[in-house]
Amino acid sequence: MSLAVPTVPVVRSPNFLQTLFTGNLAVTAAGVVIMIMVLVAIFAPFLAPMDPLTQSVFKINQYPSMEHWLGTDQFGRDVLSRLIFGSRNSLIVGLVSPVIAAVIGTILGVVAGYYGGIVDRLLTRLNDAMLSFPELLLAIMIASVLGGGFWNVVGVIAVAFIPGFARVARASTLSVVQEPYVEAAVAVGLSSPRIIIRHVLPNIAAPIMVLLTLWVASAIRLEASLSFLGLGTQPPAASWGNIIRDALSNIFGSPWPIIGAGLLITVVVLSFNVMGDALRDALDPETQS
Amino acid sequence: MSPLLKIDDLAVDFIAKGRITRVVEGVSFTVNAGEAVGLVGESGSGKSLTSLAVLRLIPEPPGLIARGRIEFEGVDLLQLPRDVMPEIRGSKISMIFQEPMSSLNPVMTIGDQVGEAIKLHRRMSRSDRLARVVELLQMVGIPDAEARMGAYPHQFSGGMRQRVMIAMALACEPRLLIADEPTTALDVTIQAQVLDVMNKVRQDTGTAVLLISHDLSVIAEVCDRVVVMYAGRVVETGPVATIFDAPAHPYTDGLLRSIVRPGHEERRLYQIPGSVPPAGSIKAGCPFQPRCPRKIDRCAVDMPPMFDHGAGHGAACWVTAPVRTTEMEVQ
Repeated sequence: MSLAVPTVPVVRSPNFLQTLFTGNLAVTAAGVVIMIMVLVAIFAPFLAPMDPLTQSVFKINQYPSMEHWLGTDQFGRDVLSRLIFGSRNSLIVGLVSPVIAAVIGTILGVVAGYYGGIVDRLLTRLNDAMLSFPELLLAIMIASVLGGGFWNVVGVIAVAFIPGFARVARASTLSVVQEPYVEAAVAVGLSSPRIIIRHVLPNIAAPIMVLLTLWVASAIRLEASLSFLGLGTQPPAASWGNIIRDALSNIFGSPWPIIGAGLLITVVVLSFNVMGDALRDALDPETQS
Repeated sequence: MSPLLKIDDLAVDFIAKGRITRVVEGVSFTVNAGEAVGLVGESGSGKSLTSLAVLRLIPEPPGLIARGRIEFEGVDLLQLPRDVMPEIRGSKISMIFQEPMSSLNPVMTIGDQVGEAIKLHRRMSRSDRLARVVELLQMVGIPDAEARMGAYPHQFSGGMRQRVMIAMALACEPRLLIADEPTTALDVTIQAQVLDVMNKVRQDTGTAVLLISHDLSVIAEVCDRVVVMYAGRVVETGPVATIFDAPAHPYTDGLLRSIVRPGHEERRLYQIPGSVPPAGSIKAGCPFQPRCPRKIDRCAVDMPPMFDHGAGHGAACWVTAPVRTTEMEVQ
């Protein structure tokens, strides 16, 4: 063995994606699931074996077969095709609305937390008022005023989620602003917008990211609930939510739509949650090896 | 030559629950170009506030600079519009803070943080900037600087972080470096290293240093002159050697007698009786009078002015005031 030469450890910041996926099978699996679901949603017309809207009296409530892999529903529609097409609506709602909510909520929260004073008080009271309604109730109220329709639902869910993001962003900002490195940044001559972008946002990114992935799951659930109540995706168009609603009255005739959509929602929600945890760890330099 | 920094009759108030409390009163001193001046005092003596006032970093409200002038390169900083200050901060005057463990952004690399001030204040290409960052890190004694630029603060020890802080502060070659208790949070051995770095940097760059500390031995290590503050006022000022050999204010004397000296370990250390009065509680007379072992009747009634003891040495004390002397004009 050669003599150990004392060396200064060379520190290299590892590639972000590398950190995210290394050594964790669950995270890799979650990533794969999300990837597959996104691809399925994009290429739905090519992947679906049948037209999701075609009804047939002769084919109602069929068991899974070679022709209909997941059976048919009470109108004789192919369940697998409906699930594939439904993934489009569910995933768009699930991804777009939390992102919109995260962007708006973070801006409001950071502004309130950083500047404080009357701005903070106004925004926080407004926020509290919105938080006092359960998300679903708030979404139902807004949706019943605006009416159903797909993009309305995206907007409604986004609005319902804004207060949560704003609150987390504000609380995180308040603690970051008190850090000496922010004072040091002021002493270096950085302007407020620059301090917010360079020092505040990166330090509150972790909780926001985690919240975002958790709420992707909530948004898919909320869209399902709204569709279930008839406010979301309008029939005959499919989303995982309204597939469950349609099938509920026929659960003994054909349980396949509920089983299929329920499983998909569970798997996707779980994948996003696992991803959220992994993202938080990867965003924190101190947990990097 | 006019001094680099001239603080004249500075007064700072804090307003809480409708009550105004004066925390800094009539502070005057100067820092010449390239000079190192130490600002000493106990906690609550107003030394940190005085330094924050120079950069106008006192939060307003609740703070308020009530009176005075802070001239830097002949310009009164207190008269400048608020939005001009960021151009001076980090560029001409920069500051090192007390907590090296939390004064660095945990999610930014060392290189980015040191380069931030350069990016802000200097026009420089990216490669020039990176080269400058490496140079700065080498100057403060970070080994393998090039490789360590990509490291995050948590991978550095306290002493290393304080070195990084010094590098950050020096990034734009400031004329004045304000160091607020730069070594207080560090181990004694690391303290000595950091002070060495500061001394070296001062020699290399000619930056003037205003070193704030409650530790006279730290001041002695780095400074040419000392300003002693007590309860928001300057009580004594003079060259380091003079202050250490012949302090003219009982408070300074007390501080010096409470330092461990080699060869005198057997003696129980002196301790100044009582504690610093709460800000704003002094109505009349000398603020040190309640704790002073040498007080006379006059101390409780009249606030002593700064008396000239010759050779740049001044002390605000009735008892030690030279006979037949005039009040010292503090420049």
